[in-house]
Amino acid sequence: MSQINIAGDTSGSIAVVAPLVAGSNTITLPASTGTVLTSVSPASDLPSSIKGPTFRASKNSTQSISTSTWTKIQFNVEDWDTNSNYDNATNYRFTPTVAGYYQVDMQIEFNNVSGNYLCSIYKNGSAYITSSFYAGSTGGSTPSAHALIYMNGSTDYIEGYGYTTVTSQSVYNGTATYFNAALVRGA
Amino acid sequence: MNLYEKLIALYPSLTDEDFHPTRGTITLQNDSDGKGDYIAKWEHPTLPKPTDEQLGAA
Repeated sequence: MSQINIAGDTSGSIAVVAPLVAGSNTITLPASTGTVLTSVSPASDLPSSIKGPTFRASKNSTQSISTSTWTKIQFNVEDWDTNSNYDNATNYRFTPTVAGYYQVDMQIEFNNVSGNYLCSIYKNGSAYITSSFYAGSTGGSTPSAHALIYMNGSTDYIEGYGYTTVTSQSVYNGTATYFNAALVRGA
Repeated sequence: MNLYEKLIALYPSLTDEDFHPTRGTITLQNDSDGKGDYIAKWEHPTLPKPTDEQLGAA
């Protein structure tokens, strides 16, 4: 095993060690300034294309829904929002500032009355993926939608909408109602 | 009376299929911005999109 020792500025040293391998192997460093990460590097040192952004939001109150009307769900409580990309006060939308592919999940709990219940993840104002759920008189009523969505990191945004054919319905707060997203791959 | 109920009152011939959430010819929407329910899409093959005056009178 061979190694190169680099003396520290004031004390100590860093050893670059080559394992026992057959043949010739090459490590090429990029021609740019940066930081070499190791398996124990803190998450804060990771590039944004790997570590973020992600958010999770829920509700702290019920929300009434008009019959047969797609209604934006006001997920007004942030459980986390690592990059301050989720608006939980005005537009209830996630506008990530890092381009890439995001895993997005949404679920809403309605009152338990027989009927059709749907939820939809909207991208840039239009339905991107919709989930439908028919609840019997004794069944639950929690439609959920899941999608992998490309976001351009500047203008693209997502929102959560709910829909029901039942009159005088509400979306409940609680653990069955949530909206979250996380970057799974950079652009 | 919400927008859906006004449309049913104005056009009693409308059916659930017209308002189908994914393939209906009429889409109602509420963006939770304080502006209330509105007609986001009206592609009904025979009935004209109602005016604000008609909806107000419904």
